Amino acid sequence: MDVAQDLAEYAAKHANNVLERDVPIEVDAGLLAAFDNTPVDEAAYADLNPHLLSLTLTSTASLLASLFTLPRAHAQSSTSTGTGPTATLPPPKTLLPREKALPKPKQPTKWERFAKEKGISHRTKDKKEWDEERGEWVSRWGMGGKNREGEEQWLHEVKNRDDADLDPASTLRAARKARVTKNLKQQSANTNRAINANASTDPAIEKARADKVSSRTKRKSEIDRTLLITGTATASMGRFDKKLEGEPKVKGVKRKFEANELPSGGGGAKEERERQMGVLKRVERGEGKKVRKGGEGREGDVNARKAVRYEGKQQRARQKK
Amino acid sequence: MSMLRTIKPKNARVKRALDEREPKLVENEKSAIFVRGQNTSEKVRLAMKDLYSLKRPSAISFSRKNDIHPFEDASSLEFFAGKNDASLFLTGLHSKKRPDNLIFTRMFDGRVLDMVEVGVDAIRGMSEFESVKASIGVRPLMVFHSDLFDTHPSFIALKSILLDFYNGHALPSLPLTSVEHVISITAGPLPPAPVPTSTNPTPTQPLPKVHFRVYTVALLPAPASAPPRISLTEMGPSIDLTVRRIQEADEDMLKQAMKRPKMEKRTQLSGLGKKRKNIETDEMGDRVGQLHFKKQDLKGMQGRKMKGLKPGFENRGKRSQIKLPGAKAGGAAEGDDE
Repeated sequence: MDVAQDLAEYAAKHANNVLERDVPIEVDAGLLAAFDNTPVDEAAYADLNPHLLSLTLTSTASLLASLFTLPRAHAQSSTSTGTGPTATLPPPKTLLPREKALPKPKQPTKWERFAKEKGISHRTKDKKEWDEERGEWVSRWGMGGKNREGEEQWLHEVKNRDDADLDPASTLRAARKARVTKNLKQQSANTNRAINANASTDPAIEKARADKVSSRTKRKSEIDRTLLITGTATASMGRFDKKLEGEPKVKGVKRKFEANELPSGGGGAKEERERQMGVLKRVERGEGKKVRKGGEGREGDVNARKAVRYEGKQQRARQKK
Repeated sequence: MSMLRTIKPKNARVKRALDEREPKLVENEKSAIFVRGQNTSEKVRLAMKDLYSLKRPSAISFSRKNDIHPFEDASSLEFFAGKNDASLFLTGLHSKKRPDNLIFTRMFDGRVLDMVEVGVDAIRGMSEFESVKASIGVRPLMVFHSDLFDTHPSFIALKSILLDFYNGHALPSLPLTSVEHVISITAGPLPPAPVPTSTNPTPTQPLPKVHFRVYTVALLPAPASAPPRISLTEMGPSIDLTVRRIQEADEDMLKQAMKRPKMEKRTQLSGLGKKRKNIETDEMGDRVGQLHFKKQDLKGMQGRKMKGLKPGFENRGKRSQIKLPGAKAGGAAEGDDE
């Protein structure tokens, strides 16, 4: 008992060894840190460890004092759980760098973009659907779901024109599976699109990416191009030539179409209407494909170019005879 | 990052784990990797061991040597960072040119942000101090002494990286009795500027030592209204460091890293933007939780045991009649047939 008392007295004596500071100690309660910006006293520094202890004591005391003045959070619940008073910490004053970049906003899917352009509002579907015949709520999908109703019924109506070996259940199942696959494909296309859209615009990353396309890869693409051009030099345009290993394939130009739907804002709706009206008018006027000059012409007309050539051939054949 | 293959989650658990690694508004606590270089000294190993135990549990200690020189090539650190979802590194090295070397590295987005190199001049490990140690996972207090931490670029960098290492993750609240230890970092006074000589007209200013000390904090009994009184006991490690090389952060990258999310102050204060499900505080200030149970299955419940309630009891008399046509009904069936 005596020893404990002695220890407590000793500790109490040392607790008061707080130094006088010229510059007040800065406290960042959010980070549980204190900054003592007074220059270190050289004379006291010579006696290193006691000086460090008293410095720490001073700054820690002031840090703790400010922590104890903070507003308390959930005072009731914390005493009942036995954790004692809990201080609500303010946001930190010292800014430290983040670990990762801020999260990018979610990219809309193709459908979401279309729906926005067209002003279609989102409609949530219930998981369950009312079944008139059974008179109960059934799930839309999954076990016993409404979407596989046709597959699971025991009797199917077969039309006269259907094949004899038609299995309606498996046909319906295949169609459902195809819908699932299509949806998965669209999903992955959406994620890919989102990844590309969210690709970093950070200059450092852009530079690293550009560096990756090194001179070697540039040279390789040049060689590929030369190979493609020289291949067409033979009479058969390279069709019957021996193929080299890893020879590049000729990729044609993909056709590109203008979007059918234009965004409704910014005069898009008007332009779309005009375009559609234009098509209708052309149909009304009876214009079909554009006719090439000197080409085959319309049905019933004589193709003059072909007729002249044909006549010429006939004449030459006659002369030979 | 390119070296790591992208994982496509095959189940919900993996997906949750991957989502945990995604960038977030309110970030996870940064974890640190402690990795040794090809050559280390006794001092370095001791320093790394003790700094690791201070950083636990959000720390990973690599048991093997790795041929790493972060200032020359940090690609392996970037690889480790991606693999372990860690963004702080302490690399220990020892060479003739730079004996007893410790390198603090900080990452942003999987790339090196900045680095501070320090040399260990003297160390006394945690085990050399006969005192109670702080529990694992308890947040330390941190105190910095000297004006250099506010003025000198190398010391500012050291302060920032050490703060990030041990106290970087902001907490919404702190139980006041859970304060157990304080990390004290002190820079010595600036030594006198060297005199320029004919051979060396512009000598470099030597930097003062940095003293890393850790003390346990004991709160002494004091009146409730008065500020708390404390006593400190050194618990170790006690390390004297010299600041060596610094690699400052790339300006663009630092700008990206310092971006703060726009959040309402209320969400920042309460739970820091994390979704708290099913917990509310009512008007009286009590915390109220909502629990979800499955629908109770009463079918399996054992009721009063009676002969008549046994399964199949009803049909017993009838079955015996069918089995034994013409025979007298059994005693059990008699009661049933009434």
